[in-house]
Amino acid sequence: MTEPQIRALFTGIAEAEAGPSRVSPQAALRRGRARRRWRRAWLAGVPVLAAVAVAAVILAMVGPFGPGASPVTPSPGPPAPRQFSPLLPGVVFGSLPAGLSVQQGRVESTVVGAVLGSTAAPLGWSVAVYARGQCHLTGAVSGLECPAQTLAGPTARFSAPAPTVRGGSAFWAGPNLVWQYARGGWAELNIPVSSYYALRQDTATQHAALKIARHLRVGAATPPIMFPAQLTGLAGRWRISDVFYEADGGVLQAQSYQLLTGTSRFFPHVGDLGIWTDAPYFQIAPAPRTSTCTPHDRASRNTSEVINGYHVVLKRRTVGGHPEQELCAARADGLAVDIIEYGAHPAIGVTSLFRQLRLLGTDPANWVRDPIR
Amino acid sequence: MSRSWDAEYSEYVAARLASLRRLAVVLCDDPQRADDLLQAALTKLYVHWGRARAADHPDAYARTVLVHEFVHERRSSWVKRVSLVSRITDAPATAVDHDAVLDLRAAVAALPARQRATLVLRFFCDLNVDQCAAALGCSPGTVKSQTARALAAVRRALGAGGGAGAATPARRADGGTTSARSDQR
Repeated sequence: MTEPQIRALFTGIAEAEAGPSRVSPQAALRRGRARRRWRRAWLAGVPVLAAVAVAAVILAMVGPFGPGASPVTPSPGPPAPRQFSPLLPGVVFGSLPAGLSVQQGRVESTVVGAVLGSTAAPLGWSVAVYARGQCHLTGAVSGLECPAQTLAGPTARFSAPAPTVRGGSAFWAGPNLVWQYARGGWAELNIPVSSYYALRQDTATQHAALKIARHLRVGAATPPIMFPAQLTGLAGRWRISDVFYEADGGVLQAQSYQLLTGTSRFFPHVGDLGIWTDAPYFQIAPAPRTSTCTPHDRASRNTSEVINGYHVVLKRRTVGGHPEQELCAARADGLAVDIIEYGAHPAIGVTSLFRQLRLLGTDPANWVRDPIR
Repeated sequence: MSRSWDAEYSEYVAARLASLRRLAVVLCDDPQRADDLLQAALTKLYVHWGRARAADHPDAYARTVLVHEFVHERRSSWVKRVSLVSRITDAPATAVDHDAVLDLRAAVAALPARQRATLVLRFFCDLNVDQCAAALGCSPGTVKSQTARALAAVRRALGAGGGAGAATPARRADGGTTSARSDQR
């Protein structure tokens, strides 16, 4: 009897006059662009992940377990790596539930991550693997503290002990599985359920999570990340950082990355997620058929140029008091190129960078493993 | 990013904004909160636009983002649930049929976010159990149990005789219902 009434109720709510909408798609677009730009998207975009800290805190209040309840056993085998190569995904999944595959990932020197998804569950599972020394157990083994921007926030609060993972200690932390994958190295698997309460009642998902963790290999031989462009003849010492890739047809295709040098500096409170100065940011990917550069940002001063035979748009604006310059090429050798740099006096400007950028076309077979030669 | 990315996103949102807002309003039962929810969901949709536009059903993807955002937001802010109840209490309740609707509305509003989202997906979006499970990121079994619990909770809130009985003028006049809304008066 209740179902028809509920249908009628929902229909009534939907059809009632809701008044003018305050929703601004343009504001969503701007904020979304900022998030993508700094490549925190795979963390910030998965709604379940954002709920982890809240759920974990609630569960920690409901049922914390004290010292001695879950002794931490040191993980056997070799120590975890101190750093990850920015040019490799860093992790291999030996076993995934049916239909699940790596969709995208991110590589930094101290953490690598991947998002696993499927058609049925596009938001999927997420994995973060931390380098040795990056994470520390909190007092009374109640949680794990890792650097900012972890899956569960600064601290993953443990909800309950989990079965060991290849001999290493493991814990459920809200809808996460946290385990020591090697000596001094911890990993997190975010599970697509709403809370530990839901997970506790779902043994099949628990088993799937443990299976993923037990078959995950860190530092094993992995397929390389392929880059669609290569910088040549750069003056000074530059290194690649913060590579974001998407998997397409089995190829891990770099979508964005950053260059860092000795003078690069991070300003954490500028923009949505902070900015780097002296650290040009690249987004390069095969251009969609209708690709053009975005010309309608009122806050920026735009000029057009032809560099290396390609039409580019140069945009200059200010973000949080920091000058920003952006070079956009809508279609350069079939690629959409965006280079962004912050700072009043960058070591190398976006136009110079574009001049030194060898574009490799849209066929990943022609791409390279090293974006700097 | 290329204009294509932005243009495709903007075109999609322009075409679907009204329907997404309707869904947000039904989820929240509050246009103001619905706008906040939709704003946050659209930002996330942009972040994942590459996957959304590549999905077989971009609408399902957008709906999933919105529902996940709703479940998270509800869990993290109990204050907004209080304001929801007060809004319903302020509404005029002159007609007996309107009273019954408000009882039902209050009962549904009192459900946990995930249960309400399940009801909305099942009975407003008309999704089947599997589609609902995909949108919520849980198993079909969980959808069934969440639906059953939600319906049971609503029936309990409306009175032991079931929803329809509780909605009749006679029972209202007799004071036979025990809805959350009437308790708040």
